[in-house]
Amino acid sequence: MKRYHLLFTAMLLMSAGCTQASAPEAEQQRVSFSLCNPSATAETQQLWQALCSQYGKKTLSGVVANVDWNTRETENVLAWTGKYPALNVFDFINIHASKDVNPSGWLDYSDLSPVVEWHNAGGVVGCMWHWQVKANDGVNYTCSPGIEANKTAFDASKLNDPNSAEYKQIVHDIDQVAGYLKKMQKQGITVVWRPLHEAAGNIYEFKGGQPWFWWGAQGAEAYKALWRFMYERMVNYHKLNNLIWVWTSQTGDKEWYPGADVVDIIGRDNYYALQYPLKKEFDYLSQTYPDKMICLAECGNGDEVDMSLWSDIWSEGSRWAWFMTWYDYSYNNGSSQDHRFAGEQWWKDAMNSGVVIDRDEIKKLMENRF
Amino acid sequence: MKQYKYISVIILCLLSLHPVYLIGVERTILLGPKTIGRAWKDNIVLESRHFANAKAGDILTVYNDQVKGGAQGAFQNPATWQGVSPEYAYFGINGAFKLTLTDTILAIARTKGIAIGGHDYRILRATLTDAADYQETITWRGPSVTMKADWSVSAEIPGKTFATLRLGDAVCFHLSKCEEGAAMKLMDFTWNSLDPSLDGVPVGGDRYIWQVKEKSLLLQLQLMGDGMQTAVRVGGKGYRLDKIGIVQFVGTVSDDVSDAQHAPKEYVLQPGELYHGEHTFPSDWSGNLRLTAAPFQKCTENDVLILSYSIDTEAVSAGIKPQLSFRDGRNWSELTGAAEPVWYELDGTDVVYMFDPVALDQVKTRGCIITGVGFTLKRIELISAQ
Repeated sequence: MKRYHLLFTAMLLMSAGCTQASAPEAEQQRVSFSLCNPSATAETQQLWQALCSQYGKKTLSGVVANVDWNTRETENVLAWTGKYPALNVFDFINIHASKDVNPSGWLDYSDLSPVVEWHNAGGVVGCMWHWQVKANDGVNYTCSPGIEANKTAFDASKLNDPNSAEYKQIVHDIDQVAGYLKKMQKQGITVVWRPLHEAAGNIYEFKGGQPWFWWGAQGAEAYKALWRFMYERMVNYHKLNNLIWVWTSQTGDKEWYPGADVVDIIGRDNYYALQYPLKKEFDYLSQTYPDKMICLAECGNGDEVDMSLWSDIWSEGSRWAWFMTWYDYSYNNGSSQDHRFAGEQWWKDAMNSGVVIDRDEIKKLMENRF
Repeated sequence: MKQYKYISVIILCLLSLHPVYLIGVERTILLGPKTIGRAWKDNIVLESRHFANAKAGDILTVYNDQVKGGAQGAFQNPATWQGVSPEYAYFGINGAFKLTLTDTILAIARTKGIAIGGHDYRILRATLTDAADYQETITWRGPSVTMKADWSVSAEIPGKTFATLRLGDAVCFHLSKCEEGAAMKLMDFTWNSLDPSLDGVPVGGDRYIWQVKEKSLLLQLQLMGDGMQTAVRVGGKGYRLDKIGIVQFVGTVSDDVSDAQHAPKEYVLQPGELYHGEHTFPSDWSGNLRLTAAPFQKCTENDVLILSYSIDTEAVSAGIKPQLSFRDGRNWSELTGAAEPVWYELDGTDVVYMFDPVALDQVKTRGCIITGVGFTLKRIELISAQ
C-alpha cells in the first residue's frame, strides 16, 4: 500500500509539468507544458500527461454535441468509421432552460447521464459555453452584442461594480455552471474547459471587423478581467480542480490573452480549414505561446471551402493536440443527406490516417500509463 | 351571332400568336437542372418574357432537390441583386418554394426578369400558376403565438385544423415579425419532431408552406387529436404564428415545355481547371471573379495560371483598354505584395501568371480575386510548368 502511495506521489510530482517534443517534431525542441492549477486533481493530471505524451505525435479526434447536452455527433463518426472519436464537447448554451432552474425547461444539465456514460466508456469530456444572457427585449436569450431588440447590450466591464446587474448575473451564471462542473469533479471526471471563446471576433481580420459575442464587446481589458474573474471564482472559490483551461485565439489578438497563469492550452476555431493556412496559424500560435499546447478547437467545412482532409493537414506539418468538428442539426434530424461540416469521407480519412486517436486508443493510453 | 363568331376567330388568332395561358394551368417556364452551390455564388435569371402575361397574385414555384443542411433560397432583382421584396431576400428551403407575384415584383420581372439564387440546393424546374388555381382555406386563426429565441414557446394546434387536408395539399403557416435566424419546428403532442424536414427549418417572410407528400404523415396529422384536442405543436424561435391554412391546387399541369427556358448545361471542371464558362468584365469594373484558396493548397512556384478570354470589341470601340490584375483574396491588395496593382494588358493571347513567393503564399492562404475590364473570361487552368 505504501509502495503504491510512493508511486502515486512520484507520478503527481512528474505530472506537475510534462516535457514533450514540440510540434513539428523536426524542430526537435523540448518544451515543458504545465497545468496552471497546482491543485489539479489526479485524474486531471493523468489526462494532461496523456495529452502531453501525444502532442506532436498524434491528434485526438473530437466532436461537439448536437447543440448542447448529448453525444449525438459521436454516433455519426461511429457509423461512418466504426470508431468513436476521443473527445465529446458539451455546450452550456441553454443553462437558462435547464430543468433544475427552470420548471418549463426542456433539458437538464443537472442530470449528468450523457457525460458520465461518455466518460465511463473512456471518452474525454469537454465543455464549452455559448454564454447567453437576456436580450434587450427582456424575453429572449442571446450571445450577440448590439442595441437591437434581439441582441444584448450586456456590459462585461460592469464586472468592476459588485452592485451592478451585470456583476450579479455573471456570478449567478458562473455559479450555476460551476455546480454542474463540481458534480463532474465528484465523479472523477476531468473537463477540457473552453469558455469565452473567439472574443476578439474578426477585429483583426479587416477594417470594421467586430467582436461577435458580448464577452468581447467591451474590448480586451474587460474581457481579460472577465476570464480571470471566472478562473478565480471557479478554481479558488468553488475549488474546481478538474478543469483544463482552453483559451481560443483569433490569431493576432495577443492583447486579449488572459495570461499563462490562467490558461493551459491555446485553441483556434477555423472554418476556412485548408491545410496551408492551418499550418501557418499553428506555427504562429506555437511561436506566440511557446509554453502552451495548441489545439484546433473548432473546425469544419466553411461557406466557401471544404476542410482539407486530415491526412493533408498532417502532411502539411501542423500538429494540433486535438480537433473538434462542428455539428449539423439538419443531418442529425434526417432532413439533410450530407453533413455540412465534416462528413463520412472526411472522417474515414482521419480515422485511417494513422495519426488520429479514437476513444479506444485514448482509453488504452490512460489505462496503460496510469 | 355572326358578331360573336368574328370575336371568337380574333381571340383564336391572338392565342396562336402568343402563348397566353388563361386559367387552370401550371406551366413550366424553366427546365433544369441548375445547381445552386455554396456561398451565394450561383443563380439563374428567369427571362422577362415569361412574365409578359402574368398578373399580380400568380405564383412562381421552384421545384428542387439535393437540399443540404441550412440551404437557403432567394428571389432577386437581377439589376441590383437585392431581394425582389425583403421577405424574399433569403428563406429556408423545405420542398418546392414559391413567390407570389405583386405589381411591384411584376414591374421588375417584366423588365429584368427574376433571379433565383441562394445556396446549397438544385433547381429542377420553375413554373407559373394562376393565383385562382390555389385555393386556401384558413383553418386556424390564432390567437397569435410569438416564438421566443430560446425555443420555449409553442402553439397548440387542434386536430380539426387538418380535417380537410389531402395528400399533396400544402399547409400554409402565416407568420409575422420574423427575425434573423427564425426557425420552425413541428412536433406531435408529446413534443417529438413530426417531420425531420420541419425540425428547426429556417423561416422568413410572411408565410411558410409545407407540402404534405407522405401518406403516413397525413394520417398522423389527422388521427392525432380529436377535433379540439391538440394534434400538433408548432414551435421554433424568432417569429409569430398568426394563422394556418390548407392550400389546395385545383388547376391542371401542362406538359408543354416548348416555351420553357432551359438552364445551361452543367459543366464539370476538368482536372486543373479552376474556371470554365463566360464571365464578363464590363466597363463599370463590376466583373470580379473570386477564386478560393482550396485549389492552390498543393501549388508550388513551378505552377502557373493560364487565363483564356475574348476581347470585348464594343468596349474597345468605346475607348476602353482591356486589362486585368490579380488581387489578394481578402483585402484586394496586389497579389505580389507590391504597393501598386500590376496590370496585364490584353491582346487576345492567353495570360500566363507565374507565382512569386509572396503571391504563392497569398493564393494558398486566402485565394485571389481577378479584376479587370473589357473582356470575357472563358477558362482558367492551373498547370505545372515542369
